[in-house]
Amino acid sequence: MADTVLLQVIDLVKHYGDVRAVDGISFEVDTASVFTLLGPNGAGKTTTLEILEGIRHPDSGEIVVFGDRMNRIGRAVKQRIGVLLQDGGFEPYLKVREILRLFASFFDHPLPVDTILSLVALEDKAGALVRTLSGGQKQRLAVGTALINDPALIFLDEPTTGLDPQARRNMWSIVTDLKETGKTIVLTTHYMEEAEALSDFVCIMDHGTTIAQGTPEQLTQAFGEETMIEFRGDELSEDAIEPLRAWSDGVRVDGATITLSISNLPAAMESLLAWSRERAVPLDDLTVRQPNLEDVFLSLTGRRLRE
Amino acid sequence: MKDVLSLALVHLATAVRERITLFWFLIFPVFMLVILSLIFGQIGQEGEISFDITLINRDETGGFSDMIVTLFEKLAEPQANGQEPLFSLYVPNAGEDTDTFLIQEKAALRRGKRAAVVVVPSGFGETLAGGMATGRQDTASATITIYMSHTSVASEMATEIIEQMLAEVDRELLIEAGAFDPADEIAAQTIWLGKQGEETRYVDFLLPGIILMGFFTNGLFGVPGAILFNRDQRILRRYWVTPLSVPRFLAGFALGHLALCAVQFAILFSLGRYGFGATVSFLRPAAWLTLILSAVTFMAFGFLIASLARTANAGMAVANILNMPMMFLSGLFFPIAGLPPFLMAIVYANPVSYLANGLRVSLGVESSTMRPVLAIAVPLAWIAVSVLVAARRLRWDVER
Repeated sequence: MADTVLLQVIDLVKHYGDVRAVDGISFEVDTASVFTLLGPNGAGKTTTLEILEGIRHPDSGEIVVFGDRMNRIGRAVKQRIGVLLQDGGFEPYLKVREILRLFASFFDHPLPVDTILSLVALEDKAGALVRTLSGGQKQRLAVGTALINDPALIFLDEPTTGLDPQARRNMWSIVTDLKETGKTIVLTTHYMEEAEALSDFVCIMDHGTTIAQGTPEQLTQAFGEETMIEFRGDELSEDAIEPLRAWSDGVRVDGATITLSISNLPAAMESLLAWSRERAVPLDDLTVRQPNLEDVFLSLTGRRLRE
Repeated sequence: MKDVLSLALVHLATAVRERITLFWFLIFPVFMLVILSLIFGQIGQEGEISFDITLINRDETGGFSDMIVTLFEKLAEPQANGQEPLFSLYVPNAGEDTDTFLIQEKAALRRGKRAAVVVVPSGFGETLAGGMATGRQDTASATITIYMSHTSVASEMATEIIEQMLAEVDRELLIEAGAFDPADEIAAQTIWLGKQGEETRYVDFLLPGIILMGFFTNGLFGVPGAILFNRDQRILRRYWVTPLSVPRFLAGFALGHLALCAVQFAILFSLGRYGFGATVSFLRPAAWLTLILSAVTFMAFGFLIASLARTANAGMAVANILNMPMMFLSGLFFPIAGLPPFLMAIVYANPVSYLANGLRVSLGVESSTMRPVLAIAVPLAWIAVSVLVAARRLRWDVER
């Protein structure tokens, strides 16, 4: 194992009866990088993370973390990792400072509570009851509890789900800052933009297995030199769409959105305009863009990330 | 150790801040203490209870009837110690028609304004004197009529007292007439059970019950409430991704719970002592041990409920169903005896019964109604069952 690999997962399996939640996945996470598990709900991202956090134990497979090989995560590893759960709660009648003090008491070498308060910008709310906090403030408190032991490896499970755009941006900058201080971050998300914005490396999961891995660039380059054209085409018949297939490499109809993947943009634009005149299709919301992770997922599974 | 102490402190802080916990923890026991001591506290304290009695004397000849009237008047006199007399007497005004007065007073009796109406018939004294002269008792003609109301407890009690008074008068008269020799009297000695030396006041009986009730509701509602709420709201889950283990969490929780019971004890005891004049002392080791055993038993019982319920709401529902029968079929608030067999079965299976009796015995306010071995064995058995079930069935939302 290279020195730069902080966490290695080897053929992890977790079944619940007939449900294969995690069905043999493997990946490596480099030190001081952001590693993303991307996939739709139910892909097995959270179960994988819960195994790595030590609240579930795998049926089989191995984990190598901080240079130690193990079958399950124990207390020694928990001293050194930070975890932001997807749906964790806090006792509503405790104050922010009390919660941080409580979590500090669980670790051998916690950071001072005041350090954490300023790190997550909750100094003003130190004496406030949790029940009076906003969603974004609660999430920052959760980040605070995840960082209280100054962990080298941080797991963030769906860190921005349910947050408003402003709070989401805040969370993104927290992740970027952590990476800059040398922390290693493993996060899960079903937001393609989030994976693209934050990740050094992406592992795309579906039905408990890994279907693609690589840097965001590597993954989107799997589409070669393709360009994507997208527009709204309400209630177009299959007959109307059929001619598009003649000059594009792929046509996807996803609700009202039609996405064409093409290799020659000028030629394709001419053909598209001709088709639009002939069929009287207004081409609302016409966009020309590079392929993204959503396109990768769609081309691999035929489904969107969020359905 | 700091994790355990932190968890205990957090448990205390949460319980005190949450209004619903505070209700079960403090307000409800205080409410019960006030209500029950108001209802039952008066009984058995002579002078503090008073009956409204109507007395109509239709015998104009005086003598024996005057003697009886004097007896009633004596009991209606203000007491030397400033307490209320036993009877408040209502008699017809001079010259008032006794028939009209009787009708009016019987109506008052029906409305609960009088406890009893006593009528001494005309010719009562003569009949009685005649009977005594001939040396035989002609009770048929020397009859005092007592009207009472069956719907009123006060009426039943007053009637009993009056009948006893008259029986005593009767006995004295017979002795006077030489028809009865006290030496022939069947010897009877009354021994009160359940009293050690001086009489126990109701508040001294009640206060240990109220304190146990506080511990009981604290365990019954507080434990499953906190554990299941924390699990359902994914609060526990955040603990499990840290090095904190389930046993250490339990140690902290239990410590916090017992500290809460101690605070509860201190408040209820002070209130009972300084607010209600309880004199019972909890300073005996046996009482301390029983209190600790009780707090632990009820906490374990709370874990049993938490193990059997899927959600916090289900846990509260189960606790609510068990609360009333377990609290009332245990002798916490008043002595239980003579219940139908199926209810007695609950009393005997109920750990509260043993702990309530055990605590009162250790405090010397009640005699033992349970076998001493059982008083410890039954609660211990409940603890064992609860711990076993909880160890097997209680889900912690973490794989261990």
